[in-house]
Amino acid sequence: MDRVIWLIILPLLTAFSLGLLKLYFKRYFNYIIIISSTVHIILAFVVANQAIKEPIVYNLGNWSPLLGITLVIDSFSALFLLAIVTLAYLVTIYAIKFIKRDKLKYHTLSLLLLTGAIGIVITGDLFNLYVFFEIVSISSYALAAINKDKESFEGAFKYLILGSISGILILLAIILIYQSTGTLNLAQAAVKFKEVPRNLKVTILTFYLIGFASKFALVPLHSYLADVYSKASVTFTALSSGIVLKTSLYALIRIVYILFGVEFIIDSGLQDILIYWGTLTFIAAHLLAYQQNSLRRLLGYSSIAHMGYIIMAFALANKGGIIAGSYHLTNHIVMKGALFLATGIFIYNLKDDQISKLKGIGKTLPYSSLIFTIAALAIIGLPPFNGFVSKWLIIKQVLEANYSIPAFLILIGSLLSLIYYLRVIKELYSKANDDKSLVKEPLILKLPALTLGLFCLLLSLLPSFAPKLLETLPEFLIKQNNYINLLLRR
Amino acid sequence: MQFIYLVVIILFCLGLYTILMNTNLIKIIIGINIMDSSLVLLLVALSYKPAGTAPIIDKPYSVIVDPIPQALALTAIVIGASITALMLLLTIKLHRNYNTLDISEIRRLRG
Repeated sequence: MDRVIWLIILPLLTAFSLGLLKLYFKRYFNYIIIISSTVHIILAFVVANQAIKEPIVYNLGNWSPLLGITLVIDSFSALFLLAIVTLAYLVTIYAIKFIKRDKLKYHTLSLLLLTGAIGIVITGDLFNLYVFFEIVSISSYALAAINKDKESFEGAFKYLILGSISGILILLAIILIYQSTGTLNLAQAAVKFKEVPRNLKVTILTFYLIGFASKFALVPLHSYLADVYSKASVTFTALSSGIVLKTSLYALIRIVYILFGVEFIIDSGLQDILIYWGTLTFIAAHLLAYQQNSLRRLLGYSSIAHMGYIIMAFALANKGGIIAGSYHLTNHIVMKGALFLATGIFIYNLKDDQISKLKGIGKTLPYSSLIFTIAALAIIGLPPFNGFVSKWLIIKQVLEANYSIPAFLILIGSLLSLIYYLRVIKELYSKANDDKSLVKEPLILKLPALTLGLFCLLLSLLPSFAPKLLETLPEFLIKQNNYINLLLRR
Repeated sequence: MQFIYLVVIILFCLGLYTILMNTNLIKIIIGINIMDSSLVLLLVALSYKPAGTAPIIDKPYSVIVDPIPQALALTAIVIGASITALMLLLTIKLHRNYNTLDISEIRRLRG
């Protein structure tokens, strides 16, 4: 069972030993990273496979769960684990060729980011979650500024201020939970949390909601994200939208479902708030994305919009909602990853990502343009791609919960995204001013992007491939007692 | 005992006010630090008991101080310090690139 902790130890160890190894084995630097990531992804698949069959509980250092830190992997965590590790693996391979300056710093920081993300997903302890959350945050602030130009410093500073305030709010919420329940173990806190007065519950929930929502950029709190993305390297933006945003969402979902419980979500009006907040988010983000000239900013706003869809699905607090939300979330990780990596190949050749300069790229860079088109069609939600299936599920669930206006607005949102993605695709395949210098599509950049593009097609079959995975997803979320009994071994 | 919570609330609001009302980067960083310190104070205040000692097993004691909030306070201080270091580093870089510390003049990214 010690495999579980190696999921965290391996990237952490590699991150800190990379500097030393680089001194002695400079020539094998790339191979060391690839070997470590390959071992890690295999490990993650083994653990996740086991966790889907039977949830894993691991007590660090064999302390009892009441004293020590517990790691819990149920199938909801396992899905996140698989998606995160797969994306990080492909991006790492891509980064070996793509990152030219500060290779060592980049890889150290991205491995730390991965460590923190896995920690958030598998921990069962509130304060441990906060520490991992800050590890992810700090490494992503540094990664946002790694290009060392004016704009990325500015974006990173905005990110840092917003991120540290959100961190403070989350810490305050955790302190209040400790004060009212006397424990930090998620399950034990959930047991005692039922006796906490309602006012305090609402206060804690507000701190958590504002803290995490500013991290995953719901609309009034979104302003930093596009600024960070506009000059950051694509490998970081892929990791950020695939891992940083999604793990913050995971933390919020886990805490709200386990600590507060499904009844509280419906009683307290949180359901309505999140549904309309999500609606506002995707409409505003789609409208903002429509005005962008920089491809990276456009994709950033599109990420914000999709966080809106996902939070709507989770706010429904029923089985179908959770399944639709997690499915769309996995799909979004894959689609946005493919889009960012394809954009990276454009930037690799053009040194710029203005949409107007992409004219005729479709002819000179056929593979990356094809990947971009496939992923864009998938993210708009056209059949037969994965985005269609999951968006359909979300609309169906929202309609069944009698929110007909938000469900209708999802369709309007898809239409808006169709317009701005088609603008890019049109530029890609319109007639070019011939420039033969654009023929560099190195295999090591192409391969990860192609894999993600292929996933866009394959994942649309997920409901028939892995029905068991999707069926067991809500099991430990919707009934908080299941999780509590699992963690406390009752 | 209630007095300390009042201090925490005042410090927290003061920090937030500093962040919102200043355009100088350094003052914003100070504001974030004040907010952080107020939470550390809250953590220490939670565990405080008059005449309490550390819960070390081989010594005889009757009143002990809850050790968990103090461990959390340490962690919070470390995280706060590293974030402050990163913010100051970015401030140096921004000052080199823009020749100003005024956040309203550092606006190249829009839209």
